[in-house]
Amino acid sequence: MKLQRILTASWKPLAAGALALSTVALAAVQPETGIGLPRDVSLHGHLSDWLTNVTHVFNIILFTIMCVWMGIACFKHGRAHQAEYDLGDDKRSIKIALMLSAVIFVVVDGNLFVNAINDIDNAYWNFDEVDQNPATVRIEVNAHQWAWDGRYAGKDGRFNTEDDVLVWNDFKVPEDTPVYFQLASTDVIHSFYLPNFRAKMDAVPGQVNHMWIQARQGTQGDYDIGCAQHCGTHHYKMKGQLSVLSKDEYQKWLNEASVNGLRAFDATDGAAHWGWDWKKF
Amino acid sequence: MEEAIIQRMGDVVRYRPPRAREETTATMGMVLFLGAWGMMFAAFFISYGFMRARLTSWPPPGVPLLPWKLPLANTLVLALSSTCYQLGVREVRMARASRAWPWLSLAALLGAAFVGLQLVLWKGMFAQGLEPGSAGAYSSVFYGLTWLHAAHAVVGIFGVGYVAARAVMGAYSAARHLSLRLWGLYWHFVGAVWALMFVSIFLL
Amino acid sequence: MDTSTVARAPHVHPEPTSFVWKYLFSTDHKVIAKQFLWVGLFFLAFGGTLAMMIRWQWAFPGEKVPVLGIFLERAGGMITPATYQSIFTMHGLIMIFWAITPILIGCFGNYTIPLQIGAQDMAFPRLNLMSFWTFVISAVLIVASFFVQLGTAAAGWTTYAPLSTNVGTPGPGQTLVGLAIFVTGVATIMGGINYVTTVIRLRAPGMTWMRMPLSVWGLWLTAVLNVLFVPVLGSAALLLTLDRLFGTQFFVAGAAGVKGGGDPILFQHLFWIFGHPEVYILILPAWGMISDIIPMFSRKPAYWYAGTVWAMVAVTVLSAVVYGHHMFLTGMNPLLGKGFMTFTLIISVPAEVLFLNWLHTMWKGSNRFPTPMLFSVGTVFVFGLGGLTGLYLGTIATDIYLHDTMWVVGHFHLTMAAAAFLGSFAGLYYWFPKMFGRQYNETLGKVHFWGSVTFITLVFTGQLIVGFAGQQRRLYDPYQYTFLQHLLSANRLTSYAAFLLAAFQVPFIYNFLRSVFAGAKAEQNPWEATTIEWTHAASPPPHYNYNPIPTIVRGPHELANPEVKKATGRDWAGQAEELPSGGEQAPQTAVPQGA
Repeated sequence: MKLQRILTASWKPLAAGALALSTVALAAVQPETGIGLPRDVSLHGHLSDWLTNVTHVFNIILFTIMCVWMGIACFKHGRAHQAEYDLGDDKRSIKIALMLSAVIFVVVDGNLFVNAINDIDNAYWNFDEVDQNPATVRIEVNAHQWAWDGRYAGKDGRFNTEDDVLVWNDFKVPEDTPVYFQLASTDVIHSFYLPNFRAKMDAVPGQVNHMWIQARQGTQGDYDIGCAQHCGTHHYKMKGQLSVLSKDEYQKWLNEASVNGLRAFDATDGAAHWGWDWKKF
Repeated sequence: MEEAIIQRMGDVVRYRPPRAREETTATMGMVLFLGAWGMMFAAFFISYGFMRARLTSWPPPGVPLLPWKLPLANTLVLALSSTCYQLGVREVRMARASRAWPWLSLAALLGAAFVGLQLVLWKGMFAQGLEPGSAGAYSSVFYGLTWLHAAHAVVGIFGVGYVAARAVMGAYSAARHLSLRLWGLYWHFVGAVWALMFVSIFLL
Repeated sequence: MDTSTVARAPHVHPEPTSFVWKYLFSTDHKVIAKQFLWVGLFFLAFGGTLAMMIRWQWAFPGEKVPVLGIFLERAGGMITPATYQSIFTMHGLIMIFWAITPILIGCFGNYTIPLQIGAQDMAFPRLNLMSFWTFVISAVLIVASFFVQLGTAAAGWTTYAPLSTNVGTPGPGQTLVGLAIFVTGVATIMGGINYVTTVIRLRAPGMTWMRMPLSVWGLWLTAVLNVLFVPVLGSAALLLTLDRLFGTQFFVAGAAGVKGGGDPILFQHLFWIFGHPEVYILILPAWGMISDIIPMFSRKPAYWYAGTVWAMVAVTVLSAVVYGHHMFLTGMNPLLGKGFMTFTLIISVPAEVLFLNWLHTMWKGSNRFPTPMLFSVGTVFVFGLGGLTGLYLGTIATDIYLHDTMWVVGHFHLTMAAAAFLGSFAGLYYWFPKMFGRQYNETLGKVHFWGSVTFITLVFTGQLIVGFAGQQRRLYDPYQYTFLQHLLSANRLTSYAAFLLAAFQVPFIYNFLRSVFAGAKAEQNPWEATTIEWTHAASPPPHYNYNPIPTIVRGPHELANPEVKKATGRDWAGQAEELPSGGEQAPQTAVPQGA
């Protein structure tokens, strides 16, 4: 717990270090340390982290009470102690039991419930704002055994056209900008997992799912993409990389990649035209 | 002879037909057993609904349509079979057990006819080009559900045949005909599930 | 007492004498219980060994596996990615269906239900016999699946489609396992029908519902869930088998889908409509058993008996409407997700009541700690820890990060594996004298307990830790990911704990085998317990259990009552014990059997 608080507090120097490294050298994901959550570079990751940590506190309290209660009963009310004939079924005892349960429920579960609804309605699963934001970067992801194909719409803003930018396990996104993913799969269920963004969504054959993230300002660097749904023999190797670039660098890369994409476009390569018209949810 | 057991239930004195405690227990077991199979078939029907709701067109374009006349005939066959079965049970209940076996045997034969007609249906659809995997959910539901139902019908035919044989051997009396009643429950269950399948798969 | 209302036992068949009818094809619930126990313990060892292989791979990736490496000769003694998939798949399936189910439900359900309700056997003894041998057929099928081409099942115990269809996992292994699951489901349903009917119909006079031991409640509710929801698993298994063998497309989509194909998410719905009740199926017997064992060793009645009953009933009823929390990230409608989240949070309330009752039972008791009590308290401990870790998973916002990480694995191992494991041993040590008529070695039992509870807590806490750090489930080599590379030492430590957990089962194996065959004779009621299997049946009970069937005059936990002390000089009174004037008396009109 403490270690995690230290990490959370020290993300700034860590991020600065990462930034320095990434601007100089080749792309490289920075390893994590300690036993806490991985660093969070997202706009909204802190919401679920807060909820997790608060629930930790409640749970530690409850678990400690349970252990102390049991411990005292074991030691102070041992064989030598005279057992009390208490059936616990009188009105007063029942009321206390129900009240205690209700209090725990309202405080702990209630807190979880209220905040979760808020978090998913206003942040994680709030796609309206993202959809309407003109700056949003849209990426289609085709998950398959065992790699992540990505597709950017290119200058024409339409998917599955000549100027699409195709990436393979190597996604580039601008910082401080919403990135809106749509996910599909051609074979089995995979799950697109960005640990440093606290984001995850299944890619299911036969349907299109969506998820969105936003890297905070100043979090340039490389981050792991993982597969979080068992998808066959090389599930463990279905690793990708998400690079957060500055807005200028991202635009530069996109323009260049779009030109290259156009040049490399092969109308006869059916397999490469896996894209779809951006789905309206 | 049979003795009525009179039970007091509050102010109401109720006549309860005599049934040994063991028979009630066995019936409860059969009801639970059918409940379990019912849950399985319920899962099948829910699956069917789920899959159908997802698709924009049912059946998908360019796929041979399922007929309704043959399945309707089959539904009537099973209904007739269940009726014959119950007529057989009635003979036993009215202490005319020796007259039960023709009804029960007819019920078994009609059951076999049902399975035979199903075979005709499957072969017909196959010939038209509808194979289990050729039309996605549509063909899967048709073949999958009717095959699984037919498997249960086959078991039922053996059961009905068994009680018919027992009836021939004079095993049943008005006071004691537990296996006759229990297999009846099973057989009517098979018929009821088919009726649901007929309506949901072939009519709707 | 009005003798005309005393239940006369129906005609008792003489006990079989030949080996085949006495030990192999017996209809005696006590024999069948032990048959389930032996097979279950074997598969517990088998499944545990598979777990050790997983832990080896995470501690020493790519290194030759000691001892067990002989099974991996073709790969040079190492676990390959393909084999690894099968290992974790079969570990899960075997532990759930072929270890815990036969031990908790097949053994303890069969053994205790008739004895504790005052019946001479189950309602359907021949169905009972059939259920065991059907189970054996399913066991043969899964063992056979290891020896077929392309190996055994490899899609995880959850068997998600399309990975579990021919698209993802070709070969006969997965199909055989699907059939094995169906067959064991049939066996479970047979057993469930038996238990449900027996408790409803065969209770002794005076054994009202609210006087039943809580073990029976737990097992009865388990049986109800089994009858209702195992068929849904059966449906999923059958449809998957049709897809695999006959080319249907219930669950196939994507590139292989024809004319729209099927729906992989449908499989998940069917699976989890079964799957969530299944986790309650696996824990309710343990909850029930420790709810009886703790009072016996606290020498105090179970606190708020009715509360425990209603809590277990509530969990049973709610279990079917929470299942969607396994599917939050499949792209389901957020509104549906919120509904599932709501029910999932609500289902924690009955669990709270259970805990309050257990703790309150021990509080101000006269606690003594023979092995059964140690294991019962251990069960409360690990289930408390595990249950709390579920809160994060039932809440969508926190589940987004934790879904399909080792946090989930730690959570369900603590609640399902650890609690059911420790609960099973609580029951086994408790009923050992009754089942086998012999005493086990108490010192070895305590050694077994302390080793087990310590290392089981450490192993699964280790899983929670790496899951919290983001490690996904089912990774052959987690260290491929940069963000997980630092977890090697954590995983290695957890693996050491796992190996020690395995080592501490040796005292049990020795103790159990030695005591079964050569232990000292046990008394009828060494625990001074109050339920009738202890007070009215020898250790072990005769073939027909009771003759005549005792009349029940009070609840199952009459302990520490000063009135009883005055009347008998003991701190307890049996359920069927008539007390001299001054104690609780039965009403003069006995309740007819089966009411």
